[in-house]
Amino acid sequence: MPTPASSARTPSSAIAAAASSIPVASSTAGSADASASANAARSTKPSKRPSASYERQEAKAALLFILPAFALLAVFIFYPMLQALWISFRHYNLISSESAFAGFGNYGKLLGDDTFLASLRHSFYFTVVVLPVQTAISLGLALLIQHRFRGVGFFRTVYFLPVAVSFAIASTIFRLIYNKDYGLLNIVLKGLGMPVLDFLSNPDISMLGIIILCIWRAMGFVMVIFLAGLNNIPDYLYEAAHVDGAGPLQRFYYVTVPLLKRTLAFVVIITTMDALKIFIPIYITTSGGPAGSTSTVVHFIYETAFKQMNMGYAAAAAFLFFLLVLAISAVQLRLFRSDVEY
Amino acid sequence: MKKKWPLALGMLLAVGGLSACGDSNGNQAESGASGSQSADGEVVELSFWRHDYAPEAEALKKLIASFEESHKNIKINFQMIPNDQYETKIRTALAGGNPPDIMALDAPTLASYAAQKAIIPLDDYFAKDGSKDDLLKPVIEGLTYDGKMYAAPNNEGTIVMFYNKKMFEEKGIPLPSKNVDEAWTWDQVLDAAKKLSDPAKGVYGWNPTPWGFVGHEGAPYSEMAFLWQAGAEILSPDGKTAKGYLDSAESKRALTFWKGLFNTDKVSPKELPQDAFWNGKVAIHVDGPFAFQYQEQNFPNFKLGEDYDVAPLWKDKKMIGTTGSWGMAITSKSAHPDEAWEFVNWVTGVEGSKVWYQETKNLPARQSTFDAFDELKAYPMNIYAEQLSKYGHPRPVTPAYPAISEAIRQLFEDVGLGGADVDESLAKAVKKIEDGIATLGKE
Repeated sequence: MPTPASSARTPSSAIAAAASSIPVASSTAGSADASASANAARSTKPSKRPSASYERQEAKAALLFILPAFALLAVFIFYPMLQALWISFRHYNLISSESAFAGFGNYGKLLGDDTFLASLRHSFYFTVVVLPVQTAISLGLALLIQHRFRGVGFFRTVYFLPVAVSFAIASTIFRLIYNKDYGLLNIVLKGLGMPVLDFLSNPDISMLGIIILCIWRAMGFVMVIFLAGLNNIPDYLYEAAHVDGAGPLQRFYYVTVPLLKRTLAFVVIITTMDALKIFIPIYITTSGGPAGSTSTVVHFIYETAFKQMNMGYAAAAAFLFFLLVLAISAVQLRLFRSDVEY
Repeated sequence: MKKKWPLALGMLLAVGGLSACGDSNGNQAESGASGSQSADGEVVELSFWRHDYAPEAEALKKLIASFEESHKNIKINFQMIPNDQYETKIRTALAGGNPPDIMALDAPTLASYAAQKAIIPLDDYFAKDGSKDDLLKPVIEGLTYDGKMYAAPNNEGTIVMFYNKKMFEEKGIPLPSKNVDEAWTWDQVLDAAKKLSDPAKGVYGWNPTPWGFVGHEGAPYSEMAFLWQAGAEILSPDGKTAKGYLDSAESKRALTFWKGLFNTDKVSPKELPQDAFWNGKVAIHVDGPFAFQYQEQNFPNFKLGEDYDVAPLWKDKKMIGTTGSWGMAITSKSAHPDEAWEFVNWVTGVEGSKVWYQETKNLPARQSTFDAFDELKAYPMNIYAEQLSKYGHPRPVTPAYPAISEAIRQLFEDVGLGGADVDESLAKAVKKIEDGIATLGKE
């Protein structure tokens, strides 16, 4: 039986994984074979070193292959980032051609800016809730639809469907659903004799409304990733565990969880980054309101740059936030280093 | 089936990776200031951007057609931009150095553009053939920064009170006067609103902002009137500070009243449903002259004079209605300012304004337009016209306006929706405006 992993090494998915530019991405799909072949390479070292010119040629070819992708990154990512870094050290109005040097003025001011600090709090609150809840729901769904039964295709499609809906459309629809007096949600709640949930006008619960919307939209995508990870776990391990007398819960804890660690790492890191950077549903559903209670960092940056036209300040906020996200991702990568191989 | 999943995953990742770059800047400015030559006989192409609003687009198409008919050497590239993207798009284009020759702008944003020299003063043009004397005084005031006029107005705007006549009659409430000198006071409106509110039917007595608590200029536009009516000011007369003005006792009174509407009296909706007034879910409403056309198109059976009527805006210590609307400006990057003015003057001049009024039914910015249409002297438009000329108050003309607009919007939201402390919220708003003013000094 060809393992799923072997098909993952087809050129298209390799390119796809590269395009996502996340190193862990390839490990979720191709890990089994990749590590296997790496081991094989180690154990059967070639007896004779290939000639130096051949190696140089190989290196040249490799560089050529890297160049197009690097050029694109340089033009569209690195150059704008450097430009933004430069802007963040200046008093820079969006539409002005002149600007003055600000030193660390923008950065210093940010640390004392209540609005910015509140937006940081909102972003982290959002992430801290979304990360465990969304991951658990997605994993649960993946486990449910991993089994083959009549109509499994229907459920896979249904759970995945929200991913296909544009975020802008989903946000608009949720705004209608959430309306305090005439929204579907509250009409149902009222019908059941339960208290009304005014997600759009109550600053205390508004972020929860955004959280529900985001989880609803993203869980299908994460579910598919988990499903791929689950399908990568060889059946014989479960069989062996079964023979050893492990119950379903033990099989889950001792086989599924450890072998899903790489997938989990990918999901956690991607979810964290996406959650911290949340913007579209907030822009459309609440515009950062009510009373500023859903203004996240990216929303703050957008407001500052394009409404207040204070580009220097916004760039500084963006950089500060970039460093923060980078640090968090680094810590997460470190924590998820896995020793479990199969 | 099973082995297809990883492949599908790979494709998803690719799509995800691509869309991640796609979000930020899907459509960059396509057409910048035109570069064609204006030598004899050659056609000058001018680009013109405006936000998308159907009745106005029709008016512009007519005016552009007649302009090109009589100016064979000038061609107008008119581009409409979705309303909520307009400001961002125009600012991105200005930042990128390729804005259109002519741009539409909302009056209070004018000073930020003028201060950064993104648009040019039009005084010489107005002196030549712009019929400036014909323009209404608050209009000129709202478009003048640093002693110079930077835009030509398409129309003027203000908001008045709308009320559901049948609901008033049902509750036996006397109808408000149609005389702008006899506007209802806040307390009179609140009194009626309390009687009109009917939580069981989901009916709110009084909706004091046309669009509810929205993220755009529509909210502060109507909220500022409350401050001015109470006798408060937002800025010092020299425009240098908000301290001692926005946090005055009068402001506190206005905001305490505002807070009550939403939190203790509960006559005002925290979430305004779509078309609430036209659907009979709000008894007292506030709206601009464009509302009549909207009602005719969408709620033809909800009739003026039968189901609803309009009255002057409410008052407190003073009677004041916020004014200000959109105009046209010429960008400093334009290679053909003279030709651009020809077009601007064609659209906003004496004759163009009449066409504009006929098509859009917006409140005119010119006396000659008021004189030309009898309907402007009759109910309901006379209420707008008289309120505008007697009690109109433009929003502050300062490059710090974006900070002011945001601070006021946030202030009323904090107090109205969040039920926040009035003093604390005012202190926060003052700080925000002070920061905005301070930042300007450094650029």
